[in-house]
Amino acid sequence: MKRSAFLGAGVHTALGAGLAQNIEALFAAPPKAREAALQVGAEEVRVPALLLAERPLDDIEARFWRAAEAVVGQAIAAAGLTQDEVRQAAFLIGTSSLDIAVSEAIYQRELNEGADAHPLTSNSTMGRLAQRLRQAHGIAGPEYTICTACTASANALLYADQLVQSGRVQHAIVVGVEIFNQITALGFHGLELLAKDGMKPFDSARGGLTLGESCAALVIGQTRADGFHLRGGANLCDIHGISAANPDGSTVADVIRLALADAQLTPDQINGVKAHGTASLMNDEAEAAGMALVFETAPPICALKPFIGHTFGACGVTELILFCGMIERGFFPATPGVCAEPSDLGVRLEQKPLPIAPGVFQLNFFGFGGNNTSLVIANG
Amino acid sequence: MADVIIRSFGDYYAPVEGEALPDVRALAKETLGKQVRRVGRFILLGLVGAARCVGAHAPPAHTAIYLSSRRGDLETNVEVMEDLFARGLAPKPLSFINTVSNASCYYVARHFGLHGRSLFVSGVCFSFEAALQAALLDFEAGQVRSALVGGLDTLIEPLAIERRRLGLAAEAPVAEASHWLWLETGQAQPGDLVLEASEAFPDRAALIAWLQARGTEKTTLAQGQYLDDAAFAAIAAQANLPRSFRYRDGRAYYDGQAGAALSAFAASDLDGAALTHINADPDGRYAAFVARKV
Repeated sequence: MKRSAFLGAGVHTALGAGLAQNIEALFAAPPKAREAALQVGAEEVRVPALLLAERPLDDIEARFWRAAEAVVGQAIAAAGLTQDEVRQAAFLIGTSSLDIAVSEAIYQRELNEGADAHPLTSNSTMGRLAQRLRQAHGIAGPEYTICTACTASANALLYADQLVQSGRVQHAIVVGVEIFNQITALGFHGLELLAKDGMKPFDSARGGLTLGESCAALVIGQTRADGFHLRGGANLCDIHGISAANPDGSTVADVIRLALADAQLTPDQINGVKAHGTASLMNDEAEAAGMALVFETAPPICALKPFIGHTFGACGVTELILFCGMIERGFFPATPGVCAEPSDLGVRLEQKPLPIAPGVFQLNFFGFGGNNTSLVIANG
Repeated sequence: MADVIIRSFGDYYAPVEGEALPDVRALAKETLGKQVRRVGRFILLGLVGAARCVGAHAPPAHTAIYLSSRRGDLETNVEVMEDLFARGLAPKPLSFINTVSNASCYYVARHFGLHGRSLFVSGVCFSFEAALQAALLDFEAGQVRSALVGGLDTLIEPLAIERRRLGLAAEAPVAEASHWLWLETGQAQPGDLVLEASEAFPDRAALIAWLQARGTEKTTLAQGQYLDDAAFAAIAAQANLPRSFRYRDGRAYYDGQAGAALSAFAASDLDGAALTHINADPDGRYAAFVARKV
């Protein structure tokens, strides 16, 4: 059973601007995060971040738009869509923080200028980001701005697929965007969830997450004979807690099983899992327990956040694109130096990219607001 | 596919009198039968609308939630930004977590014990239409059998600044609203209201063609808030749909008035009719949804 095919991608992360640069970097060790200095009153707070390559953290208002517009263009070009196909396409964005970085910059500037400054007076409309990107590329199809925290762009893919499969559109452009902003950085700093020494998901030495930036776009369309396609997926609400899945793994297992059922597969048919892997104790516990409940024998497991940081709402599409790129090169991703031996949670990650044949893979994402999503994809 | 029946509605609509917002905490406690602590009015009014929608019934645990809003939880985001940039205070943990607008979905799910799908969706002009479409996609695909679909708009003080954000004149009347529908699959019975479609169109020609293809017998058009009078009249004439239904007359401004259309239609005396609600955006795109009285 095939669903929408993945026709073309664009991606910009800390690893580079463009798919080839990103995939090449996944064959090396994860990069070291840099520190971004933020001011909270009189106190300087330094937070670890993997920022967009080639986009210095200045001119906040411009860097965001340039990066986001460019990746949508990359994906459209890679998919080879005609101008008319682009116009008719659906446009779905998944993001956690929208363009709040731009609103922060404007508010700070107005405060510094001594103006009668109030937050979000320049824009308080959540759909403005999608509108602007859609207009820039002449897209006129259905438009969704999906905000379900760290599952946002994975959920955007599920609805994009349904728009295509229902025949409402021929193509859909799914975008994940997450740009460094002070609220997110200081929010996670306040939750004491930021790692001092890189992300080490499932590792006994885990210390939390690194903030990541990403703009990623994927064009999907009707099934084609070759390449990756969506095979199934599921989204469920976990009411155990607003900021973490149930640590007993039951709700994680539920969404994994539901995605497998949607894909008409059994756990033993999965050739590899891309874990959410935030390296926070609560996520890692719940995710490891959930996988253990579903998989009698664990398939190879990978985590991509050590390379690009936690890109929050963008991680769905971003990690999907990177994962597919690696499998198409014939390798299952590795994280050298992270979780080399089975940890206290019983999970082990590959230390060298593992040669792998085309197959069926599962990608998991969990977000604030009790939002759990699992995707099943296949190639060959 | 079985019919998608609108089982019930829940509406909260409160035009603001003066310059102070009403206390919604007491209303929420009265509606929910308990206090919900450490949350703002976006979450509280989401709960109030959803609770009014389900009434004394308990939605099945697999019920999905689709919440739409043009601006989301602005109150929490503004508070966090003012604390950080004007007062030099770091975000409080729970305030930071609640900046994600899907936090409201979580509180609704938790209150009713729901474990189904959960989606927060927004758009410049078609937020509610997108939520309806997402729900219908899931019903069509057999993924969902029961769903709560909401549209939620809240305000923050001072209202003078809110009117600036909304692009309104200084004295323009404003309101808060929380409109919800409970949808279920089944075989529609006489008297039921069935949700038939929610579609988007790249231009007016595509909308007109779709309207004409659906047929015009007993179809009544409703004018969405972002569609101007001249365009509405032109569409009605081109599609040969002379009957119209007005549900927005006298309403103070809020973003998601489309959320009020279906309950107003259900309460109307338009028996045996189908309502087609049409809306537009500044780019010349259109959205429409259709409900039919059986």
